[in-house]
Amino acid sequence: MTGPSGAGKTTLLRLIFGAEKPASGHILINSINLNRISRPKLDLLRRKIGFVFQDFKLLPKKTVSENVAIALEVIGLRPKFIRKKTHQTLRLVGLAHKEKAYPLSLSGGEQQRVAIARAIVKDPLILLADEPTGNLDPQLTMEIMELFKSIHQKGTTVVVATHSQELLQGTDCRTIVLNHGKISEDAL
Amino acid sequence: MRSYFIRQALMNIRKNLTVHILSLGTIVASLLILGAFLLLFGNLNNWLQRCGTTLSMSIYLKDGISEYRRDKVDSYIRGLPGAEIKQFISKEEALKDLRAALGDDAGFLSRLERNPLPASYEVVFESKGTYGVNPEKIKGELEKLDGVEEVQYTKEWLKKFEGFLAVVRLIGFIIGGLLCLCVVFIVTNTIKLTLYSRKDEIEILKLVGATDWFVKSPFLLEGMIQGTIGGILAVLTLFLGYLILPTENISLLGLTPLDFVFLPAGYLILILILGTVLGVIGSFIAIGRFFEV
Repeated sequence: MTGPSGAGKTTLLRLIFGAEKPASGHILINSINLNRISRPKLDLLRRKIGFVFQDFKLLPKKTVSENVAIALEVIGLRPKFIRKKTHQTLRLVGLAHKEKAYPLSLSGGEQQRVAIARAIVKDPLILLADEPTGNLDPQLTMEIMELFKSIHQKGTTVVVATHSQELLQGTDCRTIVLNHGKISEDAL
Repeated sequence: MRSYFIRQALMNIRKNLTVHILSLGTIVASLLILGAFLLLFGNLNNWLQRCGTTLSMSIYLKDGISEYRRDKVDSYIRGLPGAEIKQFISKEEALKDLRAALGDDAGFLSRLERNPLPASYEVVFESKGTYGVNPEKIKGELEKLDGVEEVQYTKEWLKKFEGFLAVVRLIGFIIGGLLCLCVVFIVTNTIKLTLYSRKDEIEILKLVGATDWFVKSPFLLEGMIQGTIGGILAVLTLFLGYLILPTENISLLGLTPLDFVFLPAGYLILILILGTVLGVIGSFIAIGRFFEV
């Protein structure tokens, strides 16, 4: 999903996430209407949606492993399972060796991969990423996009919002261009 | 899940230890004042009840009463059901007692031309018999006897004291209520500080699908822990104070000695529960409007 700043990319992601309600129209996820969803059910739905932020939103006083485990702790899973699943996910994003490190000691690309690990550790149905490569250099950007592709291939719907046209060049994904809150282009 | 909440609550306390210690100190002080009041009021109330069941009477005799008349009064008193003459205080003994009570200020007594104090009988009615005794009637009959100047009995004074205790009780309720509000206010503010220090974490927890109660529970637990520890420390401090302070042989206005006892178990449990409940209410108010993510 692309478009200039202010086109409504972040707003659309927030609408899908249930952080905002639409002024008109409906948001349907797996036939669930977000306009009519109760607060407890929205919390449960969010467990099936992963969100990756441009500014990572990692907790600096928690280790990499603890940051990722948070997403499983809220579901109330057993500590043993949480440890195993967290380790597996960090291995998937190539950060198994940094489990005990703190976010501020990592590079920007590594921090973003921790944020992605936190978003995918609970095997979400949808992964939303808001400018996930905005703070990264081209090399790291490519690495992150490759990671999204591999997550997508495992069956997760991945929605990436970016203002960078270059990022989308040569990609075989569906591309939606937003302008002033409206779809101006939708290409497969 | 439960261990996660406890871990989080203890971690919150550890991370904001100074704030928690200060707040705990204030909670302990508030509950301690409340406990001290209960202790004092409970003992005064018990004492009043004991005094109420033991009727004591002072019968003052006229000056210059003849031996014959005094014997008449004496035998009349002995004839009253349940009555026991505890003491006969002659005019000279009354003056001596007053001199001893006044101490250094007793100088003016030596300048008196005559002893103005009356001789008196101190009479006590046994508890068992008190139920059937009508003090007002006995007083009336005694005062009709030739040679009796005046009769006073404890209940007259006790009635006034009961009124005083009712005022103390009312003041106690008001002070107690204010102290409870104070504890709630302190806990609310402490938990708010913890909430602000963990604002980012709360936001992230909400974003990854934590329910409101999942996020709120550690904070409620934190307030509960604070209130409970405050209650325990207040009870312990109160007991320590009770052991240290001289509480034996306290006699009020020459009546039955005040048998000062510590608070009964029910009151102690009440203070502990109060601490816990106030802690939970305080944290409940603090988290009330914090979770609009």
